[in-house]
Amino acid sequence: MAVTLECRDLGFTYQNLPVLDGISVQIHSGRFCAILGRNGSGKTTLLHCLNRILSPDTGKIWVHDQDIQAMDPKKIAQQISLVPQEHLDFFPYRVLDVVVMGRAPYLRMVQRPDRSDYQLARKALCFLNADYLAPKNFNRISGGERQMCLLARAVTQGAGIMLLDEPTNHLDFNNQYHLLTAMKSLCRSKNISIVATLHDPNMAALFADDLILIKKGGILAQGPVGEVMTQTLVSALYETPLGQVSIHGHKKLFFPQTVLTGLTDRIETKDTIK
Amino acid sequence: MVRRRPFSIKAKGTLLALTLLLAIVFLASVSMGRVFIHGADLFTLVVNFISGNGTPLDLLSQELVFWWIRVPRCVMAILVGAGLAISGAVYQALFRNPLVSPDILGVSAGCTFGAALGLVSPFDSFYLVHVMSFGFGLAAVSMSVALARLIGVKAVMILVLAGMVVLSFFNALLMVLKYFSDPYEQLPSIIFWVMGSLSRVTWDNVLVMAPFTLVGIVLFIALGFRLNILSLGDIQAQSLGLSPVLFRRLLIVASSFMVAISVATCGQIAWIGLIIPHMARAIAGPGHERMIPITALLGAIFLLTADTIARTLSTAEIPVGIITALTGAPVFGYLMIKNRGSGWL
Repeated sequence: MAVTLECRDLGFTYQNLPVLDGISVQIHSGRFCAILGRNGSGKTTLLHCLNRILSPDTGKIWVHDQDIQAMDPKKIAQQISLVPQEHLDFFPYRVLDVVVMGRAPYLRMVQRPDRSDYQLARKALCFLNADYLAPKNFNRISGGERQMCLLARAVTQGAGIMLLDEPTNHLDFNNQYHLLTAMKSLCRSKNISIVATLHDPNMAALFADDLILIKKGGILAQGPVGEVMTQTLVSALYETPLGQVSIHGHKKLFFPQTVLTGLTDRIETKDTIK
Repeated sequence: MVRRRPFSIKAKGTLLALTLLLAIVFLASVSMGRVFIHGADLFTLVVNFISGNGTPLDLLSQELVFWWIRVPRCVMAILVGAGLAISGAVYQALFRNPLVSPDILGVSAGCTFGAALGLVSPFDSFYLVHVMSFGFGLAAVSMSVALARLIGVKAVMILVLAGMVVLSFFNALLMVLKYFSDPYEQLPSIIFWVMGSLSRVTWDNVLVMAPFTLVGIVLFIALGFRLNILSLGDIQAQSLGLSPVLFRRLLIVASSFMVAISVATCGQIAWIGLIIPHMARAIAGPGHERMIPITALLGAIFLLTADTIARTLSTAEIPVGIITALTGAPVFGYLMIKNRGSGWL
C-alpha cells in the first residue's frame, strides 16, 4: 500500500479569500478515498490543486515522490486522471471518440489516435459494461451514461491516480450505486488510487476505504472510514446533529436527528403542511 | 461489433471526391469569363507553357487572360476560401461555440478599418493599403486578447466579449472614416473593400499569401486531435495534459494571421468561416482530425464557385462577398435545421 500522491501544508486563496489552508494528505494505491464536506468547503479546489489545474499558493505536492511543480503537463496526465463535475455540451462527438481522448497524454502534439488507441478505449468501455455506448452521441445520452463515458476515458488514460469530482451528482438512485461499484472494482482490480468528492456521507460509508473531512478549507479529520466515520465528527462536519443507524453490525449510516426522531414519533406535519 | 478505423476508407473517399470536384471547378472557372477559353485551347496553353514553346498568335489574348488574370485569381480564391474556412473551424473549436466565425475577435473589422484608412490617406498606394489593413487586423486581435487578460476571469467567455468591444470600436471608427471621406472617389472604394472582391488579385498577392495559408492549413490539420481535446474546455484539456492557455494563444495568433492576410488582400468575404465548418461537420462528423481537411477543400470549392459566379453573372463584376452572403445565410439556416437534436445546436 504505497503512497501515490501526497500534499503537505497546501494553501490556496482566491481573490484574497482563503479557500484551502494547511491541507496535508496522503493517498494510497488500491484505496478508495472519499472527500466529504459541505458546499463551498473547498473540495473541488483541493482536487484541482492535486493535479495542478490550479496552482496552490503554499505547500507542496508529490506524485510518486516527484514534485508536481517540476513535472511536464503530459507527465502529470499520465499519472493522474480527472473525471470532472461539469458537463458542458461539446461538439456532438461519439462516445468512443470522447473515450479515446484519454490517450492524449501519450500522443505527440501532431499525432492522432490509431487503431491500438481505439482498442484501449473499447476495452475501457467493456470493462465498465458500457460498450453499447460507443457509437452514441455524447450529447444525447443520460447523465449516468456520460459519467460512465468519462470514467471510461479516465481508465483509458491509464493513470495510477484517479480524481473524481462529485461523480454521483445528477445520477438516479440506481446509477449512483452502479457507478460507485464500478469505481470500487476499478480501484481493487487495477490497484488504482481513487480520490472522489462525495455529497452523501452514507455513500462514503458504504464504498470508501479512507475519508478526508474538509471544513471551511481545513481538514477536520482524516483516516480509515472505521475511525473517522463517527457521530461526533460527521455531525461537526455538516453542522447538524446526526443520529446513526447500524447495518451489518460494523457499517454505520447517518441521518439528521430530526428525521430519525420524526420516524419514531410519526410525522406530525400533516396538519401544518396545508 | 462495428470496427471503424480512425481514418476509414469512407473518409479517404470523401477527401478524394472533394479534391476531384475542386479540380473540376478550377478547370471550369479558368475557362469561364468574358473571354471564354475552350478546353482544347486550355490544353494547348498549358502544354505550350510546360514545353516552353511560343503561343500561336490567335491564342495570344487568351494566354494573357489565362496566365495573368484567371489562374492567379482562381488560385487566390482557393487559398482564401480554404484559409477562411479552416480559421472558422479552429475558432469554433477554441470558443466551443457554433456561432463563432474568425472575425469574432475583431480581425476583419480591424483589417477593414486599416484598409479604409489607407484608401483615404493622401499617400494612397496599393501596398500601403495592404500593410495598414494587415497591421490593424492584428492590432485588433491583440487588443481583444489584452483586454481579456486584464479582466482575467472565465477565459473563453471574456475573450468573446472583449472581441465584441474591439469589433464595435473599429466598426465605429470605420463609420467615422466613411462619413468624412470623399463620396465620389473614396467612399465607393471603401464600400467595395468592405464587400470583398478578388478582382485585383495578381501573382504577387498569391506569392505572399500562399506560404502563410499553406503553412496554416498543414498546421491545423496536424493539430486536429488536439483541437478535439481543447474543445472539451480548459479543465478537461488540462487534465488530459494539454496547456489550454498556451495552446489557445498559439491558435489565435495563427488563425488571426491567416484571416488578416486574406482580408488585407481581398477585403471582407463573409460567411465562409461560419458555414463551411458546419458543412464539413455534416459530412465528416465533429472530430477535427477528420473534418479540418474537408473544411479546407469545401472552403476552396465554395469561394472558387462564388467568385466564378461573381465575375460571369453580369457584365459588371459583382463583389464576391455579396454572393457568399446571399448563399451562406440560407445554407446556414438549413444546416441548423438539419443538425437540430445533436445536442450542440
